[in-house]
Amino acid sequence: MRETAEDPADGAQGSGEATVSVTRPGSAGSRGPKGTFSPAVRMRLRRDPAGGGGAVAGSGFPGAAGPSAHPATPNAAAAPADPAIRLATAIRIVLLGVTAIIQPGLGLAPLLRHHPAYQPPVVADLAYGVLAGVTALCALWVLRRKPIPAAVAAGGAFVVLLASSAATAALPPDSFFREPHWSFGLVGWHLLVLLADRPPALLTALAAHTAASVTQFLLGGTPTRTELGDAAIVLFGVTVFQLAIAGLIRLLDRRAGEAAAAAAERERLATRAALAAQAGRDLRTGFAEQLGATLPLLAGLADGTVDPRTPDARARCALAAAQLRRLFAENDDVPDPLVHEVTACLDVAERRGVAVTLAVSGDVVEVPAEARRELTGTVLTALAAARTRARVSVLRTPELVRVAVVADGRAEPERQSRMEAQWRPE
Amino acid sequence: MATRVTAVVVDDHPAVRAGVAYWLAAGDPPIDVVAEGEDVKAAWLGAGATADVVIFDLHLGGPAPAFGDLRRLAEAGRRVVVYSMRSDDDVALQCLELGALCYLTKAEGAGHLVEATRAAAQDRPYTPPSLAGALAGDRSETRPALSAREAEVLVEWFQSESKEFVAHRLGISASTVNSHLERIRVKYARIGREAPTKAALVARAIQDGLIGVDDL
Repeated sequence: MRETAEDPADGAQGSGEATVSVTRPGSAGSRGPKGTFSPAVRMRLRRDPAGGGGAVAGSGFPGAAGPSAHPATPNAAAAPADPAIRLATAIRIVLLGVTAIIQPGLGLAPLLRHHPAYQPPVVADLAYGVLAGVTALCALWVLRRKPIPAAVAAGGAFVVLLASSAATAALPPDSFFREPHWSFGLVGWHLLVLLADRPPALLTALAAHTAASVTQFLLGGTPTRTELGDAAIVLFGVTVFQLAIAGLIRLLDRRAGEAAAAAAERERLATRAALAAQAGRDLRTGFAEQLGATLPLLAGLADGTVDPRTPDARARCALAAAQLRRLFAENDDVPDPLVHEVTACLDVAERRGVAVTLAVSGDVVEVPAEARRELTGTVLTALAAARTRARVSVLRTPELVRVAVVADGRAEPERQSRMEAQWRPE
Repeated sequence: MATRVTAVVVDDHPAVRAGVAYWLAAGDPPIDVVAEGEDVKAAWLGAGATADVVIFDLHLGGPAPAFGDLRRLAEAGRRVVVYSMRSDDDVALQCLELGALCYLTKAEGAGHLVEATRAAAQDRPYTPPSLAGALAGDRSETRPALSAREAEVLVEWFQSESKEFVAHRLGISASTVNSHLERIRVKYARIGREAPTKAALVARAIQDGLIGVDDL
């Protein structure tokens, strides 16, 4: 991109000429602020395929456990790796399986054996069918590792409680909490599957279920002490077991939520660390670029490999001084940074005894720092080579910013040399 | 040329007046400075009243540009070369609008001043690089339409300060560069307020064959 030197060898002009094109449309956009953030983008691209498969699971159940565990970003892609989250998802499938096995395994046999005794049998059949249907419905979401929608959970719980009451009402006499009462223990499992994501609703539904059964039991006639005792044992056994499961789910969900939050935090920290590292690298390269020849020159002067008595060393010093001066000017807060920085470049040449004139035309155009550096870089190079006089011109139009330097050369004083650099805004 | 070109120098700094007089006298052929003064009276009275060219400092002792004096001189048909220490695009454009034949900044050297004075004496415009920069950067609504080549010439002339350079870069001859610059000035002379100096400039361009009567 540098110096398309167009040296008129015809010699008719007695002048040399070089053009530096900084024509880089949108250089501000593509290499400026975005460049700083590119690591994050790269990182995301790299991680997405890895976590993509599990992302569905990650966004499901742990999300229901608490708002903090709702990372909607690809950051959550790292979450399924955590065993707690996988376990929380798996336990729902296990619950569904348990329900699906218990219903035919423990419920079907008593239903068939006591079938004629139900009052009427068709109600018991219907209740059995409805419960099986609810299990199948839940499978639609659970097997896909998605949370059951609130409407389905509420409706399902209501239907399940209704079926339970109906089945209990259709029981033959004196069979509460005994073998023909297959629905009592089973319904709790359905409620667990339906309401696993909503602990308060689950507890309420379980309580309602138990209360309804007990009420129906008490209304069915005055039970004997033996009957009461048997009922209490069944009630206790079933309810405590199901409550324990509910507690276990709650515990797992909380762990999963914490794990998801921790994973998101880890990801966030990793991103920040990567960004900070990139910013640090940018800063260092930036400084190295801006300091240009200064550091090697200082090193050379220090260890004696550069002799300050030679014109070459002095020219290098002049250039380095001008670069430093420009670097300082870059951080000044002025309304017209480009001209300010060009003036800084002039300053050093003037101190060297070069008569420099500056001509500026056009209104202030906002030029990004990087483009300014390219433009002033040309001025620096040209002025460093100037011997006695130079003219720097800055032309600014909304379509074009052009900096040109006409100077007499060190090597051939009679030849005017010309360098220019231009930058086009978007 | 039968008679020598005469000039009056209006500037509030004696050193500048002396310097300008020396530069003009050293020109080839020399230009006579017949009067000088620290204010515009010098251009209206005595020998100054009949001088061919008025070399006029726009900032006479005050921070405000003396646009009123410039306007009155141009309306009287005086050929004015504005010689200012300020390189402000807007000021330069306004001076042309008022009828100045040239706007020179004091950063520009003797060569430009002599050429501008000589051109002005013949009702020809002279466009030094800084003025070319002002014209190239002109984005006002009233600016005349310039051709792409004319715009290029302005930019190159502003940034290289050498007509040979411009000619070389654009692949045209140095005299073509000059006629482009003059044609641009004719375009500028035909916008805005009327002034005898602007009319004379256009008439001179027709006489020189630079533009045709049909172009008007």
